Amino acid sequence: MREEFYKTLSSPIWWGTLAIAAIMPFVLSSYYVHILTLALVYVALASSWNIVGGMAGQISLAHSLFIGIGSMFSAALLLKLGINMWLGLVISAVISGILGAVIAWIDFRFQLGHLSFVLITLAFAEMGSIVVEGWDFLGGASGLLLPKDTGNFLAFQFGGGHGAFWMMLGLAAICVLVNVAILNSPLGYYLRTIRDNEKAAQAIGVNILRYKITAMVISAMLASVVGTAYVRYLTFADPYLLISPVITIEIVLFATVGGLGRAYGPALGALLLVPLGEILRGKLGSTLPGLHYFIYGIVVISVILVTPRGLLPLFERLWARWRGPAVAGKS
Amino acid sequence: MSELYQALAQGLLIGATYGLLALGMGLVYGVSGVVNFSHGDFISLGMFMCLALYSAFAMDPYVSIIITVPLMTAIGALVYIFLIRPMVGHQFLMVVQLTLGLSLVLQNGILMVFGGEPARTPSFVESKLIILGDTVLRLPHIIAFVVSFALAIGLYIMLRATDFGRSIRAVHQNAHAAALMGINVGRVQVLTFALGIGILALAAALLLPGTPIQPNMGLRYTVITLLVVVLGGMTNFVGIMLGGLIIGIAEAFGTIYLDGPIGLLLPYIIFVAIMLFRPKGLTWSSAR
Amino acid sequence: MLEIDNLVAGYGGVPVLREINAKIAAGEIVGLLGANNAGKTTLINSLSGMVKPISGRILFLGEDISKLTPQARVELGIVQVPEGRLVFPEMSIRENLLLGGINAHARKHRPQQMEKVIGLFPRLGERLTQSAGSLSGGEQQMLAIGRGLMAEAKLLMLDEPSLGLSPLFVQYIFEIIDKLHADGLTILLVEQNLNLTLRHARRCYVLERGQVAAEGDAETVKNDPRTRSAYLGL
Repeated sequence: MREEFYKTLSSPIWWGTLAIAAIMPFVLSSYYVHILTLALVYVALASSWNIVGGMAGQISLAHSLFIGIGSMFSAALLLKLGINMWLGLVISAVISGILGAVIAWIDFRFQLGHLSFVLITLAFAEMGSIVVEGWDFLGGASGLLLPKDTGNFLAFQFGGGHGAFWMMLGLAAICVLVNVAILNSPLGYYLRTIRDNEKAAQAIGVNILRYKITAMVISAMLASVVGTAYVRYLTFADPYLLISPVITIEIVLFATVGGLGRAYGPALGALLLVPLGEILRGKLGSTLPGLHYFIYGIVVISVILVTPRGLLPLFERLWARWRGPAVAGKS
Repeated sequence: MSELYQALAQGLLIGATYGLLALGMGLVYGVSGVVNFSHGDFISLGMFMCLALYSAFAMDPYVSIIITVPLMTAIGALVYIFLIRPMVGHQFLMVVQLTLGLSLVLQNGILMVFGGEPARTPSFVESKLIILGDTVLRLPHIIAFVVSFALAIGLYIMLRATDFGRSIRAVHQNAHAAALMGINVGRVQVLTFALGIGILALAAALLLPGTPIQPNMGLRYTVITLLVVVLGGMTNFVGIMLGGLIIGIAEAFGTIYLDGPIGLLLPYIIFVAIMLFRPKGLTWSSAR
Repeated sequence: MLEIDNLVAGYGGVPVLREINAKIAAGEIVGLLGANNAGKTTLINSLSGMVKPISGRILFLGEDISKLTPQARVELGIVQVPEGRLVFPEMSIRENLLLGGINAHARKHRPQQMEKVIGLFPRLGERLTQSAGSLSGGEQQMLAIGRGLMAEAKLLMLDEPSLGLSPLFVQYIFEIIDKLHADGLTILLVEQNLNLTLRHARRCYVLERGQVAAEGDAETVKNDPRTRSAYLGL
């Protein structure tokens, strides 16, 4: 099973795609580089969410907490306590991991059946946004403004624009690779058995709690790290963006549109929808605020009704048909 | 002491409406296994419909319900038939994402039509106060309490004493057996969902007077409803009403006694605490 | 009364039943036998409309009903008493009976029908307000049959009525079945218990792997070697 992962690591297509992506800042205008950077943020977030939501089938709505900790908390550590953001990144990731484990444990305790995870995580997400908006250390409702990005790498600065793009490209690539690695590992196998039939998994002796917690911790820590990088790019730590449950809903919808539980599905969803949304927002945001969210909603509803497994499997089917039935084997 | 009475009274009054909101969700969950994550956005839709009717015809929210309730019931039926029914059975978890998507559509549809500024819909009872000793109560809250409880009792009687109510319970307890009785399970599911949304239109009018509304408040209502439903044991009628009162009182105590975020967090803290000791919620019967 | 004509049915397009032909005349009591997984429940569910036919026809009183919904068939009087009883556990006996007669046709005569059912099962009448979940297995079987009768059944299909009951209750239930038959009700009795069925049914069909392996009157079926092989799975 591991071989699949090494094959990806040594695949020329993978590195070729990354290399082409990496030269984008030299080709595109700064506006489009900005849009691509945002798309990569959501590629990374949707991919990290996929470990819990897609592979294990545990629809977590708590990821705004981890993104929020990674962004707001590490920003507060820097501004209020002068703690280097690299260290802040690590501290936030550890806290997110612990919180993720606690939430997974509490959910396990509640025994409410297949929807419990959604309910519990949404309640926690709402609690998180209340805490942040009311806690001055984290900037309260007005948020926190980070110092200007001067490109000091040791201070977790990447020089804005191009540097931030490469940083995000790297993070997105790591998150996708983690997906590939987990999917092709025993952990991925156990997560899929939990998703497909939790009772059966339990009956054959799978330690459900352990794997659920493991998935949640990995996912939460990745989301937190992405959160830190995201806030550095934004410079302004906006609680209404970073710790609002809406950011999780966006991620969930991107992953669903692309293809849940697939290594490249969430990335595909984010790469298609974020640029669409951002361009719409740029053109019509002042006259029709909320239009991009409206479109996201319409897209996800249509995709779920037409191809419930997402666009990636649909594209694969079309591709296989186009190449002819002879090679249409693996899906 | 007067503060205590004030908090209790305020919490009970608002809690009854929370219970009503949650009953709709609990019924739908019991019959179709669906949890609608756009529940709160339907409440805001109901509220903004009242606002629109006020702006256009100076209609009082309590009067608007003769239009909003049938309209929202019809919308509920259409949403179930065209969006949710195709999912039930084979792509069950997808209903979560689907209703989250619907939530974005509703919330931002409202935003595009009405703009994001907080808006108020006046009512003739809005500023009327009832003073009992040291306790000051707002008339809209009392109306909300009375109507919510009356409606809850009406629903309870409907479930126990009518064929439609018994069909709902039969589908909940065993959908296969219900179909063998000649009950059209699909129709019961549609009607229950429509009924749940219709109730929301009514609850929206009850919650509206004196409350500033914003398009993005739906999610918070969804979360409150979820807390109540989970606390009530998902499908237990009495448990859900009780859960509504508990969350309502927790909210009132939080805002009156505690400052800042801890006060707002109180309902959630109480929720987590209760659930850790009673993982299946407030159900006391051994049966579902 | 009922005629099954080359019926092929199954789940998700995969046939479980292959070309079933069978007939039930009015007032007859017919047994449907077979080992586990022979397709008995699939057949009875096809008659109820819970399983959609892939091909073939089902005629009831001369009309093709194979496209009708389960509701429409209940209204026509094709009523199933399911395996495992499936009473509504959190409802009272009275409510269970009322639900039995909820179809548009039977609804009008529910009070009279309920009196008949209580006359048949006085034990149910004594505890109308008790919840069905608190009844013993035998009492639940009575309730399930009573609930089926509430629908004003013309054809009553009983799926494994003896399952999990004490011998005394089995005897009692089968006496009731005989009585219903004597009153002119057409009955399809689905059973795994071979000897029991052969004692009560006049005619039998034996299913094996989704096909009719043997058929005829009770005596013929009893002596047919294919019956034995269908049971032993040889």
